[in-house]
Amino acid sequence: MKKLSLMLLVIFAAALVVRAQDDAPQGAAAASQKQAQAEAVERGRKQFVGTCAACHGEDATGGRGPDLIRSSIARHDKGGDLLGPVITGGRPDRGMPNFPFNDSQVGDLVAFIKAQIALFDLHTRTPGAYPNDIPAERLASGSVEAGKAYFYGAGGCAKCHSPTGDLAGVAGKYTPVDLQTRLLYPAGKLPNATVKLTSGETLTGVLQLNDGSYVAIKDKDGWYHSWPRGAVKDLKVEDPLAAHVELLHKYTNADMHNLFTYLVTLK
Amino acid sequence: MKKLALILLAFAASLPAQELDSHKLLNPGTDSWPTFNGDYSGRRYSTLAQINQTNVGSLTLAWAFQSRSQGSFTSMPLVVNGIMYATLPDQVFAIDARTGRQIWHFQRPSQGGGNRGVAMYKDRLIFTTPDAHVICISARDGKQIWQIQIADPAFKGFASMAPLVIRDHVLVAGSGDAADLPGFLLSLDPMTGQTQWRWDSEPKPGEPGSETWPQDSDVMSRGGGMLWLTGTYDPELNLTYWGTGNPHPVENSEARPGANLYTCSIVALNPDTGKLVWYFQPSPHDTHDWDTNMTPVLFDANFKGKPRKLLAQAGKEGLFFVLDRTNGKALVSAPLGDSDWYSGWDERGQPIPRKEAEPQPDGALVHSAITLWNAPSFDPQTGLFYVNERDWINVYYLTIPGKKAQGWAGRDFTVVGKPFLKALDYQTGKIKWSKEGTGRGGGSSGILTTAGHLLFTADTSGNLVALDPATGKTLWHTYPGAAMGSAPMTYELDGRQYVVTPVEGVIYAWALPAR
Ligand code: HEC
Repeated sequence: MKKLSLMLLVIFAAALVVRAQDDAPQGAAAASQKQAQAEAVERGRKQFVGTCAACHGEDATGGRGPDLIRSSIARHDKGGDLLGPVITGGRPDRGMPNFPFNDSQVGDLVAFIKAQIALFDLHTRTPGAYPNDIPAERLASGSVEAGKAYFYGAGGCAKCHSPTGDLAGVAGKYTPVDLQTRLLYPAGKLPNATVKLTSGETLTGVLQLNDGSYVAIKDKDGWYHSWPRGAVKDLKVEDPLAAHVELLHKYTNADMHNLFTYLVTLK
Repeated sequence: MKKLALILLAFAASLPAQELDSHKLLNPGTDSWPTFNGDYSGRRYSTLAQINQTNVGSLTLAWAFQSRSQGSFTSMPLVVNGIMYATLPDQVFAIDARTGRQIWHFQRPSQGGGNRGVAMYKDRLIFTTPDAHVICISARDGKQIWQIQIADPAFKGFASMAPLVIRDHVLVAGSGDAADLPGFLLSLDPMTGQTQWRWDSEPKPGEPGSETWPQDSDVMSRGGGMLWLTGTYDPELNLTYWGTGNPHPVENSEARPGANLYTCSIVALNPDTGKLVWYFQPSPHDTHDWDTNMTPVLFDANFKGKPRKLLAQAGKEGLFFVLDRTNGKALVSAPLGDSDWYSGWDERGQPIPRKEAEPQPDGALVHSAITLWNAPSFDPQTGLFYVNERDWINVYYLTIPGKKAQGWAGRDFTVVGKPFLKALDYQTGKIKWSKEGTGRGGGSSGILTTAGHLLFTADTSGNLVALDPATGKTLWHTYPGAAMGSAPMTYELDGRQYVVTPVEGVIYAWALPAR
């Protein structure tokens, strides 16, 4: 009953908040909810480290007590309905003490355990669904000097790039993982094409389609043109990233790490 | 007179039910496509030749079916008794295979996800759902008959594969790599959904194979190896062949030293008991999420002058294997493309992974070929095995090092992936011809070959194409408006051959102009 009235109160308060923010920009309510959630997780983390970690591990993966990431109770919990009773009631006969926490303390612990589960469940194949949170320090395992030497020497990077020109401040533009993958291959640049038509005309532009049946380009003014392949006498395609492709087949892991370690200094 | 009327009455009443006759599963004929791959062999080769090299240029649209629904057809439709059964996640459509008109539509609430299609047993259709259920509905009207749950979505379990029916067994499995679920294959009773047997991807402690896992932790009991793509079946040997997925924790080596059987393996099971008869492991001690689920394709052919029962597979690890399917012995082990993650072959013909190619906290650059679930095809006329593949360069990051890792313990980022359609000689593994994809977008599509000396697939610019399987030359193409995420299939009704291509929310049926 107490729980129910609390819940009603929360819903009522939320409604008030929503009403008050009717005029506010759409994302604001979501952002503040996210903020509140993050704060609950942080409070829960402190609580957990202080009272639970000795048995369940700081990351909740278990120790003397069971792994909570793989706990069915934790996985199936909805708003504390399963975790709450275990925490407040304990299982004294089996080594799980009881804790006299109130609903909001339990709520914080639940928020933290759920956040840990979500963290472990992150699937790497869903871009955007997880943070690119590998810190630069972890990736910068090479040597700045060796990276710089590769940049100006074996890699030939300086033929196209300059640390004070196009790469100035590049370390601040991307997350560390993005920077590492982009230094290897900055995908997204379409090839340039020179199209010689059977009519004698020659056009250049950015290649849009070359599927064996049709050729299409966008010219320098941004206009799209297409022809049946038969109307094209000669097609020259030039990949602006050809040098990157070539390097991909030469890099050692050490080259990659050295280059990255050098590039992250370009703040 | 009365007698005649009676006979007539009897005649009218005996219009056949549109059930799947069980012998059709063994001999589908040309008028049906009663299983995921058209037949048990997984060759995806049709003896139909009405559409052939001389007339494929005049192929035209027979009909198009609009699902009017969100989601893409990444499934394989079946055709039985002139009715097509196609799926989107949590949806099944019954469609007149002659006209493209909808007969009925089954739908349940859905969270999205993927689905690969239905299996048919007599008058029933059986399929899996994103919330890890197996559902049986009536083929007559789409009414539900039974449903069961086979994995726990709270542990990120889901299911997408099309079940495989062998006699009175429905073979089905779940997926999910995030929370250390163990892999399994279930055999269900088609009448009730009750479990007949269960095969586990991991052995129990002390059983053969358990020595390929650490003995000082329980990681084997939750070691993954999901079976997420429909297997194949040899009725003569009474063996069903399946590929298993990657081990858990994913992309972490330290937590599970050893080969980690039977993950990333091809397994031969007895369909009546679920007992393992042999295995072969294309990616031992996998640390790159290289599932070996891709179709084990079965064919009988001469190998070095001797007739043999063969199994060929191209897996996500980018290798091509031809095995003797009576015993799992490797006859050919070969790369599909550029690979630098293994140093050679062991005495069984399995690759020996290089330690340096394992995921690292600061990233490891790895070259490999890759092929996904999209069906390959074996054409007995050319003797070539066809596969859509990408030459891939990835960086693998170890994000959760150490023995205690669980679930996803690494991440990988694709740097670049160059697409190719490759034709391989099954006796040598050598690439007979290779066609580089022209586009950059689109997934890889599946492949169909036919006795009309044609290979149907989609190119990476999104075109549907018919090629000469001997050379790769394009003989027909059209742009259906999006990339085909599925594979083509074919059947013949009333003397007319149809080639079907599901593309996003539309199923196109192609045929020669009607006379
Ligand atoms: C003194 C050690 C100890 C401490 C401190 C402790 N636990 Fe436990 N906990 C255990 C043990 C042991 C079990 C297993 C009991 C059993 O076998 O049923 C357990 C079980 C649990 C379970 C049930 C898991 C399941 O799937 O059955 C939960 C949830 C749980 N603890 C949460 C907590 C939380 C939250 C805290 C901190 C507020 C905490 N525990 C503090 C030892 C401890």
